[in-house]
Amino acid sequence: MAEATGLRNLQLVNDWADDVAVFRGVPWGKAMMWIFLLSDTFIFTCFLTSYMTVRMTTAEPWPNPSEVFALEAFGVPVPLLLIAIMTFILITSSGTMAMAVNMGYRRKRVPAALLMLVTAVFGAMFVGMQMFEWTKLIVDEGVRPWGNPMGAAQFGSAFFMITGFHGLHVSAGVVYLIIVAVRVWRGRYEEKGYDIIEITGLYWHFVDLVWVFIFAFFYLW
Amino acid sequence: MADTGQQHPISVYFWIWALLFVFSAASYMVDYLAFQGYTRWTLIIIFMMLKAGFIVAIFMHMRWERVALITAILVPPGALLVLVGLMAMESDYTWLTRVVHFGADPAPVPLPPPSH
Amino acid sequence: MAVEAQIPYQEAMELHDPHSWITKYWFSQDHKVIAIQYGITAIGVGLVALVLSAMMRLQLGFPDQFDFIDPEAYYQFITMHGMIMVIYLLTALLLGGFGNLLVPLMCGARDMVFPYVNMISYHVYFLSVIILLASYFVPGGPTGAGWTLYPPQAILTGTPGVDWGILLMLGSLAVFIVAFTMGGLNYVTTILQARTRGMTLMRMPLSVWGIFMATVLGLLAFPALFVSAIMMILDKTIGTSFFMPAVVSIGDSLDYSGGSPLLFQHLFWFFGHPEVYIVALPAFGIVSDLISTHARKNIFGYRMMVWAIVAIGVLSFIVWAHHMYVSGMHPWFGFFFATTTLIIAVPTAIKVYNWTLTLWRANIHLTVPMLFAIAFVITFVMGGITGLFLGNVIVDVPLSDTYFVVAHFHMVMGVSPILVIFGAIYHWYPKMTGKMLNDTLGHIHFWVTFLGTYIIYYPMHYLGFVGVPRRYFANGEMAIIDESVIMLNQTITIAALIVGVFQIVFIWNLIYSYFKGRDAGPNPWKATSLEWQTPETPPRHGNWAEKLPTVHRWAYDYSVPGMKDDFIPQTEPRTAEETAAGRTE
Repeated sequence: MAEATGLRNLQLVNDWADDVAVFRGVPWGKAMMWIFLLSDTFIFTCFLTSYMTVRMTTAEPWPNPSEVFALEAFGVPVPLLLIAIMTFILITSSGTMAMAVNMGYRRKRVPAALLMLVTAVFGAMFVGMQMFEWTKLIVDEGVRPWGNPMGAAQFGSAFFMITGFHGLHVSAGVVYLIIVAVRVWRGRYEEKGYDIIEITGLYWHFVDLVWVFIFAFFYLW
Repeated sequence: MADTGQQHPISVYFWIWALLFVFSAASYMVDYLAFQGYTRWTLIIIFMMLKAGFIVAIFMHMRWERVALITAILVPPGALLVLVGLMAMESDYTWLTRVVHFGADPAPVPLPPPSH
Repeated sequence: MAVEAQIPYQEAMELHDPHSWITKYWFSQDHKVIAIQYGITAIGVGLVALVLSAMMRLQLGFPDQFDFIDPEAYYQFITMHGMIMVIYLLTALLLGGFGNLLVPLMCGARDMVFPYVNMISYHVYFLSVIILLASYFVPGGPTGAGWTLYPPQAILTGTPGVDWGILLMLGSLAVFIVAFTMGGLNYVTTILQARTRGMTLMRMPLSVWGIFMATVLGLLAFPALFVSAIMMILDKTIGTSFFMPAVVSIGDSLDYSGGSPLLFQHLFWFFGHPEVYIVALPAFGIVSDLISTHARKNIFGYRMMVWAIVAIGVLSFIVWAHHMYVSGMHPWFGFFFATTTLIIAVPTAIKVYNWTLTLWRANIHLTVPMLFAIAFVITFVMGGITGLFLGNVIVDVPLSDTYFVVAHFHMVMGVSPILVIFGAIYHWYPKMTGKMLNDTLGHIHFWVTFLGTYIIYYPMHYLGFVGVPRRYFANGEMAIIDESVIMLNQTITIAALIVGVFQIVFIWNLIYSYFKGRDAGPNPWKATSLEWQTPETPPRHGNWAEKLPTVHRWAYDYSVPGMKDDFIPQTEPRTAEETAAGRTE
């Protein structure tokens, strides 16, 4: 296009006005993953907005998450102990994932695959602890999706639904990680390049990202 | 195309990793020290946004992406802010109507007989 | 990675050529085959919905004459008709069908970026249709909650299909959304990342723009429906109370408490309003191309058209609660949403002006696609104008839940997109099969459909004004119902049945012309866009020859002054005269 106006000097405008591709140098899979994550963001936000709505509209008292999710450690109840540990585990897994991406681009495929497997193990630990948390809540505290002894019924409903949906994402991520890690290990991407690890990483970091919001809005509110 | 992807010194990741731990610990302390009211919310939101920002910017490499991708991903969620904001208003209103309708004690169910 | 480096990647894209009948016609990874699969499935399920509407009309025109229509069945007809038409026909056909067909061809790509995911998308969609139709074979039949599925009533005793139907409906919707997401990610990524050389976004045909924006809306709006479907399933099956307040049902206090039915309405319309544009925007885009091609004139205000599509897409996310003026929501919302609703009329009106101005003093060929395109513009104006009525709170309140609303949305998002779909099928059938559709049959089909539409929906506006409520099984002895209503309802029913039956002409035309139609040649309409420049007709798997085509101009070089032909394909390099004349696009 000949009419180069001032706007065309902006990289943003220039990229959108280009032929072939808008996201210059971004592989198809990565572009698709980003757009999928955008769509998934809308899903989680709709969940969280629904939770906000039922919580703000209920006329019954909302159970105090700080007390509900407390654990006994050395005889003292520590609020949100398990949740804190889970948060740290997920962050750690995000760190190992970032390293795996880095190793991939350095073409060190064995360390990359190992780091991905470590990430998957942390993910599995997270899901395991979530199962423990659910069990404790259901068996000890008597929280059910349809009601609980401490107050508004929506506490249980929103909790099980949101953490459940997040847990499903983590579980799916673990499977995804293992599949990709095995393929990386076997050298399947030697020719195609290691974008796939970054794509997997995007998904995994997103799962961590969602947890940041769940942690703030569900446990700390 | 394989060797031109996102390559950054590993130290960056360790730094962010450490920072995420710090922010998580800090937001945990907000609860532990039982801050309430606006202080609590300001702190929680700040730490949340910091964590989210670092994850997206560094771990997901958005900081190094071109502006076209950054805007394409970060602008659409603006629609969600409208949804969240309006639903917050709506919830306040629903809560108000419930309190007005059910009276000071919001518990009684079944509903009182209609007055008209 | 330089842009140039991406083209060979795309040219050398791995295509999984079919090895057997089953990989060629059933598990095909060719976007054109998938498009036809989507098309046939959508039209098939659409015919079911058409029959359902005929049943409703029978009851409305001739109350109590037919034993097989009781109130329960009637509500099931309404619900299934609405849901099928909006989601499983229009969304699937416009995006799954035309999106799949046109995006790679018009962008100059070999296929979608991930053909395998694209294939799965269709089969998951097919599964969702099966789940939906399965609700006819379960105890209690399909749900009768109305297509909006509002709780609490949707999951309470008294609504037909409350045991199984509603669950199958919600499950089917969730599955549909999964299918749509897989397809939609493909369309968006293909448009953004896999165009051919020279194909900038501002050279894309408007069809692609419409499909692109609609797909983006779908990816961002369907999540709200997905979430509400999941929550309603939980409310129904394990007794959570997301949407359910404390309810007394048939004398019993139910176990629900504290949920918010308004939440569902907000989530539903946060999806539902973009959904209107998911259906409308591809139609806008396609009709722009039809008008330009058959009027032999460039589209008026191309850039304005593009920006109007984008503006409509953006605004569609902040107008949703104009569907809820009478719901008892926050009293301030009416003002906000009425304002945004009237603002969204501006870009929409711009599009209508531009279509009209494209036709102004053009070399109009009254081909069948063109007839449908003009019919669309007229019908869309009718439906759009009544939209302005309903967008205003004060006018909406008395008209709410009357036949005026029914007339409005059928005109604007029922008939209008359907007219475009017909036009588009007449337009692109030659490229897909190599045969022209029969003209005489096309004219018969057009005139009956077009005139019939007006006999059906025009009187409904009047019915609304005199206060006939929608979704009533029978009006009975209601004093407000005027004498004239009975006669009008009979007229509408007869017209609807005739229009319905005449769609057989169309189906017959599709089948007949496939075998006996006139040979079309590669470019029967003398059109400029890329899909008409393929080396073979119908295009083979992979669409193009060894090299992808290179694009040198926009898609609307019709009747360019001083040129030999009245059209210049997009692949034609610019001449020295053109450059000298300062024609840069």
